Amino acid sequence: MSVTPLKTVGHPTQRIDAVKRVTGTATYTGDIQVPGMLYARVLRSPHAHARIRKIDTSKAQALPGVKAILTRENCDIVWSSGDTRNKRYLFNNPVRFAGDAVAAIAATDRHIAEEAMRQIEVDYEVLPFVLDPEDALKSDAFAIQPGGNLSPNAKGQHEPDIFRHGDIDRGLTTADRVFEDHYTSVHINNAQLEMRVSIAQWDGDKLTVYASTQGISNCRTDIAKDLQMPLEKVRVVCQFMGGGFGNKNQCHDFDLMAAMLSKSAGLPVKLEFTRKEDYVAVHGRWPTKQYYKIGVAKDGTLTGIQLRGYSGMGPYRKGAGGIAGVELYQCPNVETTIYPVYTNMAVSANLRGPAYPQGIFGIESLMDHIAYELKIDPLEFRLKNMTRKYHDELPFTSNGLEDCIRRGADAFEWKKRWHAAGVGAGPVKRGAGMAMGAFGSAVGRSSAVVKLDGSGKYHLHVGVTDVGTAAKTTMGLIAAEELGVPLEKIEVISGDTALCPYSVGESGSRTTTHTGYAVVQAAKDLKRQIAEKGLPQGSEVLTASVNADPAQPKDAARYSFAAHFAEVEVDTETGHVRVIKYVAAHDSGRIINPLTCASQVKGGATMGIGMALHEELLYDRQTGVPLTAGYYGARVMTHRDTPDVEVLFVETEGAYGPFGAKSIGESTIVPSVAAVGNAIFNAIGRRVKDLPITRDKVLGVLA
Amino acid sequence: MKTFTNANPKDIREAITLLSRGNASIVGGGSDLLGMVKERLMSPDVLVNLKSIRGLDKVETQSGKMKIGGLITLDALSHDAQIRKNYAVLAEAAESVGTPQIRNAGTLAGNVCQRPWCWYYRNGFPCLKNGGDKCFSASGENQLHAIFGGGPSYIVHPSDTAPALVALDAEFHVSGPSGDRVIPVGQFFQLPRVDAARENVLAPDDVLVAITLPAARPGVRSTYHKVLDREAWTHAVVSVAMVLEMDKQICRSARIVLGGVAPIPWRLPKVEAMLAGQRITPELAAKAGEAAIVGARPLAKNKYKVPLTQNVVKRTLLSLA
Repeated sequence: MSVTPLKTVGHPTQRIDAVKRVTGTATYTGDIQVPGMLYARVLRSPHAHARIRKIDTSKAQALPGVKAILTRENCDIVWSSGDTRNKRYLFNNPVRFAGDAVAAIAATDRHIAEEAMRQIEVDYEVLPFVLDPEDALKSDAFAIQPGGNLSPNAKGQHEPDIFRHGDIDRGLTTADRVFEDHYTSVHINNAQLEMRVSIAQWDGDKLTVYASTQGISNCRTDIAKDLQMPLEKVRVVCQFMGGGFGNKNQCHDFDLMAAMLSKSAGLPVKLEFTRKEDYVAVHGRWPTKQYYKIGVAKDGTLTGIQLRGYSGMGPYRKGAGGIAGVELYQCPNVETTIYPVYTNMAVSANLRGPAYPQGIFGIESLMDHIAYELKIDPLEFRLKNMTRKYHDELPFTSNGLEDCIRRGADAFEWKKRWHAAGVGAGPVKRGAGMAMGAFGSAVGRSSAVVKLDGSGKYHLHVGVTDVGTAAKTTMGLIAAEELGVPLEKIEVISGDTALCPYSVGESGSRTTTHTGYAVVQAAKDLKRQIAEKGLPQGSEVLTASVNADPAQPKDAARYSFAAHFAEVEVDTETGHVRVIKYVAAHDSGRIINPLTCASQVKGGATMGIGMALHEELLYDRQTGVPLTAGYYGARVMTHRDTPDVEVLFVETEGAYGPFGAKSIGESTIVPSVAAVGNAIFNAIGRRVKDLPITRDKVLGVLA
Repeated sequence: MKTFTNANPKDIREAITLLSRGNASIVGGGSDLLGMVKERLMSPDVLVNLKSIRGLDKVETQSGKMKIGGLITLDALSHDAQIRKNYAVLAEAAESVGTPQIRNAGTLAGNVCQRPWCWYYRNGFPCLKNGGDKCFSASGENQLHAIFGGGPSYIVHPSDTAPALVALDAEFHVSGPSGDRVIPVGQFFQLPRVDAARENVLAPDDVLVAITLPAARPGVRSTYHKVLDREAWTHAVVSVAMVLEMDKQICRSARIVLGGVAPIPWRLPKVEAMLAGQRITPELAAKAGEAAIVGARPLAKNKYKVPLTQNVVKRTLLSLA
């Protein structure tokens, strides 16, 4: 299976801004200095749950250099994208997690702002708190939000999210064997390099926000909505951004705080987070508890899959809270029941493949276990049971999953590396594991503008910010291909709502398929204009502007697929796990830029290994306060922990995306956690069912 | 960060005078100290910058002994040819600290005197180390805490170089308001049952100026083995500093010191005694591992450290045989 080669698209291409980024000349949001700018800090709750009886800001207010202080008493702005179910204010009372904002201070320098923070006196009435989602649903649990701790569904009903296909009772009662087990995952942070920062500047009734955002358009829309301003009065700028992995979608409370502090002080305000704040105060991946029952026939055919799952959302419903993965398997009888639950931990929402790596860890661990129990090679078991139709019903526009498994297995030398579980001699044992993954690849609304001037230069206006995916370069390559000109002829203008049309936002792995599609359409229109009017001369400019909103195919599902293979060494005397070989095979349709696409896969796999082995925002159960916020505590992967990741692309043919491209960014982390877990099982013959698979747990199952 | 004054003393006496005035802290490399000031774990009015004093980072031989200035960076220490050759355990320990950036800035004395990395302490809980009256780890998250010598505080000593220095039988040269003194390494570190707020005997106006190592002896083999939860930038989960004086295949004497398992570098005198005069065989190493964990009192969540310690002692011994 392969795609027809193209001229510009499909060749490894260096990022158009690579030199700026690596030489330190790129201006990130934190680098921006506006004359007269104030510096802001946020006072946060030290308690997991408390009612504020009284806040006294008078001492802080009196400090020389303090220009504005916001609390709930003088600021009742609702941050609408911070909670899709309840009214979440910028400053909430009660405060519902350790790190919930209590006040924001702007001062002439950050040290004064910090000192003012310490001078604010808050009288807290400490309330009971709960960290575990199952505990939170017990009848005696203290309600964190009105209506109880089961977060309501989109219809406002306090019911779990249920998916049913076929007849699960039949699926389990007709099975030859039923396997029952449970798996857990923990809260981890996005850990993106660039910390949260926002600079707000007013010019009369016009507001400019220099943000660190994954989507300038969404950020702008949300700011305008929450501050009740006309959209045209708000400008959002983000020329270079330093990563987000899903926690810089939309606007954030700190954007709104900067704007309100600036309005109150009459001066521009920069609000920056510390690394610790970044870990506790924004959001991370939702922790889960997953209880499975899986029925199989003697020959290994699946007859039923049942999942009851609990997702800890923190005290605000910012994320969807799903547990994905069951749909990777072809099965006639499926039932999943997911409870998104309020807890007093840090908020949980999008982190690269939001519902996937933790769900895949559960289902792919148990499927692995079943294969061993049935004495079937886990790889053959996947090939036998992998999805051929979405939810057993809808065909896929293209499905390269089988190719990912087969070609990945060849590159990995699966037959040579995989063996019966735990049979290695000596204290250091090797093992091989694999897992499958998928991620949605929709097409949808976005926009692009392409101009050609009299000098022969093309100008591509796209509202991307480039979260690390090389989106600016990708958009340039797509335009160059469609226009039939070299990439160097195209100037990409991005990251400023004053200069760029709407873009979908770099979330959901949608930029290439959504905005890329609009770029193709705009380029087509420009070519048509050139054919009609001829090339522009002198000061003439031809402009093609497209607002694309392509329809999803109704009769087919559109997904990217992946299979990851890991080999580990487990030292059974020290519990040390090292990943020594890693192969990632991906079907993302046509690859626009193999260089940056491979970087995405390497980054996703590395993140997944960290999630499998190290990372956790660990909480003190006595106080509800997190203990491991930051890169040191959370044990984020270092270069020395990272194996070489071998990347393979299975380029399936498929319509809809630009030149047949599907999504990539998020699918890269999806199978990685489970692949590492399965490799550890293969090495030692024991399974750790609770993430992360740390030394204490490895030595624990071996004891 | 709280505002402070940076003082640049010209000599040790001036440094001590500045420290004696109260609410002052020594800054050497500053790699940890500045973070602690930012986190408000300490709020000194004055930082006494020892880098302004010349000659505190020298390595010199004095009547056979090796004298190392406290201000030597961990990087320089790990690359010093004489130390690598004759005191490998110290060079390896220095090389295992943190990251290259930390080793370029961090000093030997700073590493020895480093405050604990217990997550309760570092997160500002009102614990014994932060002026409170309770150790939160005792009934809390104690995965990384002490299995030896704990109570009332269960921190583990964070230094890599400290176990190496105990294993090498070093002497600590300390200057204070009442003059200079030499403290044998065995008397430098202090258990929490003596004073739970501190990890060593230094007073706030004492300066650890230099460390002396005994003269190099033929037949000495030494090494530092550190178990990390990731490959860089973590403190030891368990570490072993081991110095063996060998006569061909026979171990004449041994000094074995554990890191990461106790509030101070934890010496294993019984294991040392059982090795003296013996040939190091896999059987003996296994017995040494077993003996190393006698008396361990793990907490609820760090039981794994017991077999880990056993195995690391066994392996480190075999690696030197």
